[in-house]
Amino acid sequence: MLKSKTFVRKTRAGGVLKVVREHYLRDDIWCGSEACSECKQESTVLQEDAIIESSLCPYPHYLVPDTNVVLHQIDVLEDPVIRNVIILQTVLQEVRHRSAPVYKRLKDMIQAKEKYFYTFTNEHHRETYIEREQGESANDRNDRAIRVAVKWYSQHLKTESNTDGLKVVLLTNDQGNKEKAEENGLVVYKFDEYVKNLTANPELVDRLALSNDEKAEITSSKVLFPEHLPLSKIQSGIKSGTFLQGTFRASRDNYLEATVFVQGEGEDTTEVLIQGLQNLNRAVHQDVVAVQLLPRSEWVSPSAVVLQDDGAAKDDDVDDEEEKAVISEAARKPTGKVVGVIKRNWRPFCGMLNLSQIKESTRHLFTPADRRIPRIRIETRQASTLAGQRIMVAIDGWPKNSRYPNGHFVRSLGSAGEKGTEEEVLLLEHDVPHQAFSQNVLSFLPKMPWGITPEDMVKRRDLRHLTVCSVDPPGCTDIDDALHCRELENGNLEVGVHIADVSHFIRPGNALDKEAANRGTTVYLCGKRIDMVPELLSSNLCSLRSNVERLAFSCIWEMNHKAEILKTHFTKSVINSKASLTYAEAQMRIDDTSKKDDITESLRGLNKLAKILKRKRIEKGALTLSSLEVRFHIDSETHDPIDLQTKELMETNSMVEEFMLLANVSVAQKIYDEFPDCALLRKHPAPPPSNYDILLKAAKSKNVEIHIDSAKALADSLDVAKVDGFSYFNTLLRILATRCMMQAVYFCSGMDSDFHHYGLASPIYTHFTSPIRRYADIIVHRLLAVSIGADITYPDLMDKHKQSALCNNLNYRHKMSQYAQRASVAFHTQLFFKNRGILNEEGFVLFVRKNAIIVLIPKFGLEGTVFFDSKDKAAPSLVFDEQIPGVSVAAPDAEPQAKKTKLK
Amino acid sequence: MARVKVSEAEKVYILHGIRDDLRVDGRSCEDYRHMEVETDVVSNTDGSARVSLGHTAVLVGIKAEIGKPRPLVPDEGYLEFFVDCSANATPEFEGRGGEELGIELSNTLYRVFNNRSSVDLKSLCISAGEHCWVLYVDVLLLQCDGNLYDAISVAIKAALFNTKIPRVHMSSDEEGGKEVELSDDPFDCVRLNVESVPCIVTLCKVGHRHVVDATLQEKACSVASLIIAVTHRGTVTCAKKMGGGSLDPESIFEMTEAGKRVGKALHAPLMKLLQQEESLGKKRQKVGFLG
Repeated sequence: MLKSKTFVRKTRAGGVLKVVREHYLRDDIWCGSEACSECKQESTVLQEDAIIESSLCPYPHYLVPDTNVVLHQIDVLEDPVIRNVIILQTVLQEVRHRSAPVYKRLKDMIQAKEKYFYTFTNEHHRETYIEREQGESANDRNDRAIRVAVKWYSQHLKTESNTDGLKVVLLTNDQGNKEKAEENGLVVYKFDEYVKNLTANPELVDRLALSNDEKAEITSSKVLFPEHLPLSKIQSGIKSGTFLQGTFRASRDNYLEATVFVQGEGEDTTEVLIQGLQNLNRAVHQDVVAVQLLPRSEWVSPSAVVLQDDGAAKDDDVDDEEEKAVISEAARKPTGKVVGVIKRNWRPFCGMLNLSQIKESTRHLFTPADRRIPRIRIETRQASTLAGQRIMVAIDGWPKNSRYPNGHFVRSLGSAGEKGTEEEVLLLEHDVPHQAFSQNVLSFLPKMPWGITPEDMVKRRDLRHLTVCSVDPPGCTDIDDALHCRELENGNLEVGVHIADVSHFIRPGNALDKEAANRGTTVYLCGKRIDMVPELLSSNLCSLRSNVERLAFSCIWEMNHKAEILKTHFTKSVINSKASLTYAEAQMRIDDTSKKDDITESLRGLNKLAKILKRKRIEKGALTLSSLEVRFHIDSETHDPIDLQTKELMETNSMVEEFMLLANVSVAQKIYDEFPDCALLRKHPAPPPSNYDILLKAAKSKNVEIHIDSAKALADSLDVAKVDGFSYFNTLLRILATRCMMQAVYFCSGMDSDFHHYGLASPIYTHFTSPIRRYADIIVHRLLAVSIGADITYPDLMDKHKQSALCNNLNYRHKMSQYAQRASVAFHTQLFFKNRGILNEEGFVLFVRKNAIIVLIPKFGLEGTVFFDSKDKAAPSLVFDEQIPGVSVAAPDAEPQAKKTKLK
Repeated sequence: MARVKVSEAEKVYILHGIRDDLRVDGRSCEDYRHMEVETDVVSNTDGSARVSLGHTAVLVGIKAEIGKPRPLVPDEGYLEFFVDCSANATPEFEGRGGEELGIELSNTLYRVFNNRSSVDLKSLCISAGEHCWVLYVDVLLLQCDGNLYDAISVAIKAALFNTKIPRVHMSSDEEGGKEVELSDDPFDCVRLNVESVPCIVTLCKVGHRHVVDATLQEKACSVASLIIAVTHRGTVTCAKKMGGGSLDPESIFEMTEAGKRVGKALHAPLMKLLQQEESLGKKRQKVGFLG
């Protein structure tokens, strides 16, 4: 039967369009129930004995949630207990329209067999389709459609032979809808009412999202925040320029401060500072907000206080103090206040529960692991069990009369402090995809046993006879580079860098490729690796292990003894590595003058050239920076760290690094020449001079001068920056210099004009040498393969917009993986100290804040905040001087006097 | 226009019949043939009607779009006409054959309908000088069996009656920029007042008398005809002489009087019929073209 759906729509040009769509109704849409004998369905979804232990509905029943229940209570619906649910098409469409993430979760549930979720296409069913009536709003119409479908179901299931009283239960939180459904004789409950009566699963109650009327009771009636403006007003305000739209980034150090990044025309962004609870106005980290600038007279500078939200006691006084401080005009930054939230970017947050002081209370505060997220108030009856566990909590809303946002418990990750739990938290918080590879992805792996076929050899050079070896850190199983060096007949040297040919195994566009592109990078945690590609590839087929034949992508140079490149040649190849060495082993071979074998000779040749290359690079102004990297010795039984040492750098480290840099630069030049519009490159922008403030101030404290005019000047002045009797000073400066740097990023050459790599002092750079652990390298491999005619191209590779989007993802994943790595090290450091008691170590003061100092302990690579006023001791009276970052302790009877300045 | 060949003997027969007020198909001089009207036949228009008169069949669809008012009358909307002579009606219309007739018909329709005494053009105004509704009236000739004007005018009146214009209001933001806002209820629409919309009566001078609703044969016997647009009160809003022959003032007066009489009598049953159909609401069975 044909019906037509008519609606009017506004067009972009301001016109009004009447749209008529054909809508077909059918009589072959089945109910999906096992108990039904009438419908001619091939397979059923809903079980016949759909029993859930409930004091409200002791009979078997199917649930029909309405749209709002799905939207707000998806966390409960996802629980394995909730099964046999009919999702009406009306609901599905509305959910899809209203919230994409919830829609995706709902679709996942429908696909999961063990959930027994059935989609009933009521909008196309002859007996359940209804037309909108005059004077009926769209929502009312949908509510009615839901009721009609439920009615149909209950009659449909009744007429059949089944006598066990299978019923259909409508779940809604809308009072009006509930009343109307009751009038129609339907079984209907409010969602919380239903969940509270699930006798076997009382813990589900905690996951209920708070509905509006409940929120009102919780908080005092005192209005704490200004009202958010309606969206239409915000939009017209942004249009007219009175408001600015930007991403809200909360400060890590001070919960009363945040920055809004406003994207301006083109590349430039302005930063707007937001200070104070009222001005922050319930915005949460990562939200898209509208801000209004304050008059210039009210502009402030970022505060120098480290503030953690410990409760409501002291927050407001801090603001006042702040304002009294005299702020120099130059330090003031544009300051504004949040007037509305355009898009919330809430996700479930990991963290810990703070138990309420009152024993019987069911309302508790939750402290997220991410310091930039405010504490969240949740309601739970299992607080005592959850205390000491890592849990996930989702925010439901933030009413204007509540100090904290309201949320609900999602799930528990395990007890705090346990390695598995903490790793899970870490990965979730840094958005690292870490689930196992799906069957679909694994299906694209080569079949084992794998061997090199004659077809593979067609476009490859056979380099199996060369003395190739690899040098890696100990315990490395994903070896993606190997080297060789030999003397040619003409006296020149041939140097080859051989990189695992991952792009041979990962073909563009298949599930494996997409998964790798999404993951972007392999994430290395302490004692754990989250692979970008399945293990068969990463640790076996692509890994250039010794004495097996492996496919490689080779970059071969002919060099003279002054390390000048005479010829560069790229080819796909087959190699057979003769040795897999660690840095230490390689170093020992080089140093051991009695050894004269091929491998050692080759290493010596490489080492010699590498030294020359490094010198040249440094002459050009490449920076040698420093950051502390820590290695753990992990107990093989318990996997707990038993010792810890900072990484040592050997000559061989820099030898491998030097050739990798050289290969990357050569490849970058080649692919850029070949594809000026779509080469994937890596750039490192020069930092703006203001970034160097911390470095300059630190150096000045020891009367050392640092020049920041160019990379070369910086490198040179860092080299001479030494203080007698303070040998660590130089390293400290280099650590600080590292923090002044910008992030290096991937970009598509067609979308940008500045290619310079500041840190390496190279005009062009890319990543080619680690395709097993970085997706960018795979793309670079593909580009290079096309340019030497070894492989074919595909449309997405040449599309600069798609590539640019890919770069954004890679940059994001790369950044997140680094954060995750750091967090993992920090966690292991804590594990290490757990059983150590009090230790005395030398430490250095890195920064000074008004009420705290930030201290670095080089031995453990540990950095921490030391507050002056701890709980039991009163704060010494201090004088803070913004200009010379130092704190003066006022002596009881003397003038304030500059204390030791910044560094030590 | 579509024509039939009529022999001299036939002409004499028709002429004599009309002289005695008895036409070939049994009608008297001021009778119409059987007429069928159905509205709301094309779902993607804002208003539509189908009219068949004898074997003449026309379809009218009206689309309302937002446009800019004409500068001279900033507070009025307006109508646009287009007549499509389908080759279905007669093979003569094939290719561009129907173009001339189409233009002639639509020019006449402009004169008859696009004025404030026929249609309440002020009600089509949304905001003076900026936005108004423009009604695009598309006429499709499906079959020609004489008396096109009358059939078209009835169809247009019925279609205007049926037209539902979405209700809009202007919202203005702080800087004075105005925007059209649409009600989200599809039933929330404006209807036009069609009471004073005229109907066209075509009178053909055949011999010494004149007939209304001439068939093609009768038309072939006539040398001149007069088109009169008459409102429900009997007011003549437009008159036009068609055809090559001449009319003396005496007979023009007579024909106008007859046209007024017939036209006035046409309105009342038409409106009654339209309202009846409307009141059926959803229960109404649509007939369409195949019924």
